[in-house]
Amino acid sequence: MSNTDSITIAPQSVRLFFQSFFKTLIYFIFLVLLLAGAYKAFPLVVDALFLIIIAAILTAVFNPLVDRLESSGLRRLYGTLLMFGGIFGMVALGVIKGIPTLLNEVSRIKDIIQENSATESLNSMMGDINSRIAEYIPGFQLDLELISSLSAQFFSQLGSILAGALDTLATIIFILIITMFFLVDGKRMTKQLIGMVPNRYFEMSLNITYKTKQQLTNFLRGQLLAALGVGIQSFIGLSLLNWIFDTNISGVLLISTIAGMANMIPFVGPFMGMVPAIIVSLFNNLGDPIAASHFYYILHIVGMFLIVQMIDNNIISPIVVSGSMEMHPLTVILLILVGSQIGVLGMFLAVPAWGISKVVIQEVYQGLKGHHLI
Amino acid sequence: MKEKANISYPLFDSFKDKLKPKRSQAQMALSQVNVFSRLSWQEIKIVENAVHIRNYAPGEPVFKQGDPGSGMYVIIEGCVGIFLDIPQQAPKQLSKLGDGDFFGEIALLDESPRTAAATAIENSTIIGFYRPDLMDILKTKPALGGKILLALSEVLAVRLRSTNGELVKVSRKLEAVLESGANE
Repeated sequence: MSNTDSITIAPQSVRLFFQSFFKTLIYFIFLVLLLAGAYKAFPLVVDALFLIIIAAILTAVFNPLVDRLESSGLRRLYGTLLMFGGIFGMVALGVIKGIPTLLNEVSRIKDIIQENSATESLNSMMGDINSRIAEYIPGFQLDLELISSLSAQFFSQLGSILAGALDTLATIIFILIITMFFLVDGKRMTKQLIGMVPNRYFEMSLNITYKTKQQLTNFLRGQLLAALGVGIQSFIGLSLLNWIFDTNISGVLLISTIAGMANMIPFVGPFMGMVPAIIVSLFNNLGDPIAASHFYYILHIVGMFLIVQMIDNNIISPIVVSGSMEMHPLTVILLILVGSQIGVLGMFLAVPAWGISKVVIQEVYQGLKGHHLI
Repeated sequence: MKEKANISYPLFDSFKDKLKPKRSQAQMALSQVNVFSRLSWQEIKIVENAVHIRNYAPGEPVFKQGDPGSGMYVIIEGCVGIFLDIPQQAPKQLSKLGDGDFFGEIALLDESPRTAAATAIENSTIIGFYRPDLMDILKTKPALGGKILLALSEVLAVRLRSTNGELVKVSRKLEAVLESGANE
């Protein structure tokens, strides 16, 4: 390639990069302003809309399964009931088995943090970690109080999320009922809604609705499959670490679930999954000289999660996730910042919610362009 | 031969009327289209639930030339003209379709742009059966979807055969013209 070629290509690619970035930024600001304005003006309507949107997302996730059951000859209503029966069964099993274990684990670690007797072990552990890191990075110093307060904050947040989830059980049931109606009668509802569109825009609206639904289903299914993949791999990896190195990491199922769910957030997610595992390992191995000599298995855990990420990024995600989640890192950071205003749940939901909005915007834009309306 | 007496049984007749299945206008129109003609009434009812019935005023376009194709139309009642847009000229009317006629069935299989425009000539009630509806039937009632696809393939096969026949005729004529030109 000649010099002139490289000179002409570089500014063009830079321009394209900034064009796509600014376009995304403008969409983003517009959406945030729209949502904020709507929330200020009609908080109740927005709350109801929020429930309907969540139900619609759940419908998109479960619809292929109900379609499959219907295609096997089962009536749609019975298929939906069968699927919900299965889901409720699994959730009930998870709640009965998981919640007490989780609450015990959280209160145990909280006790360890608050106990005075543990402070000495914590101090010695931090001192050990500091001295080891200082071998590589001179002058490095981790503050025990900071770590303790961060850990306490994390676990208190976890507790508050759980408490909140239990408090809003009625809301969850309400969402599930709406989802059930959408699954059984959604097609007729959509048909009636689209029927109101004037003839001129009818074909276009129908196509946009169908394609958006398809994209949304693919996107959500991909995200959930990738999350499930990461969750299963993390579970296997952490169990192997416990088995081979005796890392004493408890609550493997919960940590794997967090890792799987956090994986939906690009860039930041994988670290979010890693942090609880490291914290549990640190607190479970307090005062253990073997664990101290292995650097509290931090490197093992980090290594394991890196392998999981490599498998996910190179094998699972390319197969199951569509390209719609490709985002600029700055967009992700902005989204997480906005989401953090609502809380940890907001941070979790901000990026997938943006991914969904992006798919909808793209499909509407393509549809309008195809029909020469823009 | 003795003629049969025309005796009426009012009670029996009233039962017969009640038991007689009531077919909607849309069902009757769909059953006449060759894509759906081999379906049972129960299957036609499923198709009827999937389709969209639209009303068009005179002069209102059903679709425009160049729009991405998304489905077929069956006229329940009314009249629709198929027009070809020619640049800098008035649109040329290719055909005029009436009750029970159908058009645009290829668009069920292919999203390529419409080659002509369809415009309602008088007040018309039209059934629209679109690709998303077909895909939905294929997903939830695969056997019925298969029947519709088979019928569509048969329509295409008949058209292909007739196009081939036309092509043979034209090529023979061309050969004859070329031969006569060479002789001269």
